[in-house]
Amino acid sequence: MKALLKFFSSLKLTVVLLVFAMMLIFFGTLDQVQYGIWHTQKLYFESYIAIWAYPEQAPGYEALQWLHIPMPGGYLLGGMLLINLVAAHVTRFKMTWKKSGIFLVHFGLILLLISELLTDLLAQESQMPVDEGGRANYSQSYRENELVLIDRSNPDYDQVHSIPTSLLKPGKVVDVPESDLKIRTVRYYPNANIGRAQPGSPHDSPATQGAAVKMNIVAHPAEVTYDENSINTATAFVEVIAPEGSLGIWLVSNIIDDRFPPQMVHSGDQSWEIALRFQRHYYPFEVELVDFKHDKYPGTEIPFNFSSEVMVHHEDHTKNQKALIYMNHPLRYEGLTFYQASFANQDRTSIFQVVRNPGWILPYLSVLLMGLGMVIQFGIHFVGFLNKRSS
Amino acid sequence: MQQRNNFSWAAHFLLPAIILGSLVGCDRAEPTAYKIPKETREVSMPMAPAATGPAMASTGTPGMTVLPGMAEAADEAGTILYTTPEGWTDLPASGIRKAHLQVSDENGSADLTITTFPGDVGGNLANINRWRGQIQLDPITEADMANVAKPTAIFNHGALYVTLDGGVDSILAAILPFHGYTWFIKLQGSSATVFANESKFQDFLNSVEMEGHAH
Repeated sequence: MKALLKFFSSLKLTVVLLVFAMMLIFFGTLDQVQYGIWHTQKLYFESYIAIWAYPEQAPGYEALQWLHIPMPGGYLLGGMLLINLVAAHVTRFKMTWKKSGIFLVHFGLILLLISELLTDLLAQESQMPVDEGGRANYSQSYRENELVLIDRSNPDYDQVHSIPTSLLKPGKVVDVPESDLKIRTVRYYPNANIGRAQPGSPHDSPATQGAAVKMNIVAHPAEVTYDENSINTATAFVEVIAPEGSLGIWLVSNIIDDRFPPQMVHSGDQSWEIALRFQRHYYPFEVELVDFKHDKYPGTEIPFNFSSEVMVHHEDHTKNQKALIYMNHPLRYEGLTFYQASFANQDRTSIFQVVRNPGWILPYLSVLLMGLGMVIQFGIHFVGFLNKRSS
Repeated sequence: MQQRNNFSWAAHFLLPAIILGSLVGCDRAEPTAYKIPKETREVSMPMAPAATGPAMASTGTPGMTVLPGMAEAADEAGTILYTTPEGWTDLPASGIRKAHLQVSDENGSADLTITTFPGDVGGNLANINRWRGQIQLDPITEADMANVAKPTAIFNHGALYVTLDGGVDSILAAILPFHGYTWFIKLQGSSATVFANESKFQDFLNSVEMEGHAH
């Protein structure tokens, strides 16, 4: 036990871990060219082991394609650093007034490591496009998708049954929450090319219901893209199973969206719209875009300001709020942060990045603690030095 | 003393381990059911997505108005055959659209649509000015037509090749009168994408073959 504690609290371990951290950042940065920031983050920093492979685009790929470098991932390194720091405190450090600054710095560091993990696990990012004069009560993620069955029969509300696409595994059956239906995944493609079957050419589509049959649509798997400006066309063939038996197989895809007539599932006297769409997050309020401004430097196309004037209409009217969202001035509302992210549709649509991060205050706090710790530590030494000189 | 150290060691290690363990559990995706206020569908016609990908999902954007009989008239005009250029996606066409293709790159995306209508649909100048309006350009007069529309040939028939550079968004198009119908083949989207794909657009035009009742 003692040996273990000694290992975990050693300064040598700290140095080794920091060297690995530098390696991870270096190779992660290299791979960002290939995979974009989002996927690289998953591969290198939100993992236990990361493996860097010699990139295909690099010179000498033919000779060096065997080259793979494994290294500890972000979770492993962060976790080890956390254990290392805590273990060092337990075994070596004695809490004395003279070392209070160092304690504060370390405590800030621990808080920073924990806040990073919290952000990874709990933060949620999505986008909310709103047209000028229009309102939106949901934002959507452009990376995660959901299979939804929507029952619109109630005159007062719509009932949404949602299944994340991460649960759509070919052959697996998932219960539709709060309903008697079950979904069996026949095929699932994270990205696909969808088009009409060429007349006369043989095609293989398991669909027996819906748009795929009516419009002769076929789907072919495509390579997943990590490009930040591209979207993966998540596509699935799903069988809907009612208590009385199978209702058929539908082709659903996030490209077959609101622009198309809804695909319907009927069972007895009940009916649902079925769709695969970008994961939506609904809110108890609506964001109305009053005005979007896109100012350019006179005589050029170079923008110098994007701003959105919004009015937030909450179900509880006392929470209504007006705000101007622009660069570095997000709106913080109900635990969410709305950033001005983009615009479209000839400046008539503004797109907000909506971030829910319950731990957003922690990094500020930890940096503050570390700063304070350094000032105190330096102050103690400085006062000691002055006292020594004057005596 | 030894006793206290053991306790604090356990507290230091176990507590974070328990907290982290319970947090990791939060990350799992689960099926859910929830109620939302009634939603209305405003558009049921495919329309061109905006220049950036995510804006595709924008809600409430005015779609295309389809007049009664337009879709039937388009059906009458016969079929168009083409080869989809590499890297382009052939999307389902419906209503008055005979085809809908899409291309995207790092600069944005562009949509190619093929529509057809009986007659000359108000003449070339009116159609070009309508497109200019779509990409925020001012209308032109008959005298300026030669600057934006050049004669070309599609499927061995005389046609017009139109280039409209609107800065942010641009249009490349071909207007083909064919046996009483006018065919519009239009590539519209972010300027960089549109012009980067100009040669593929021209290859596409060269691949076009018409099959009509009238031929």
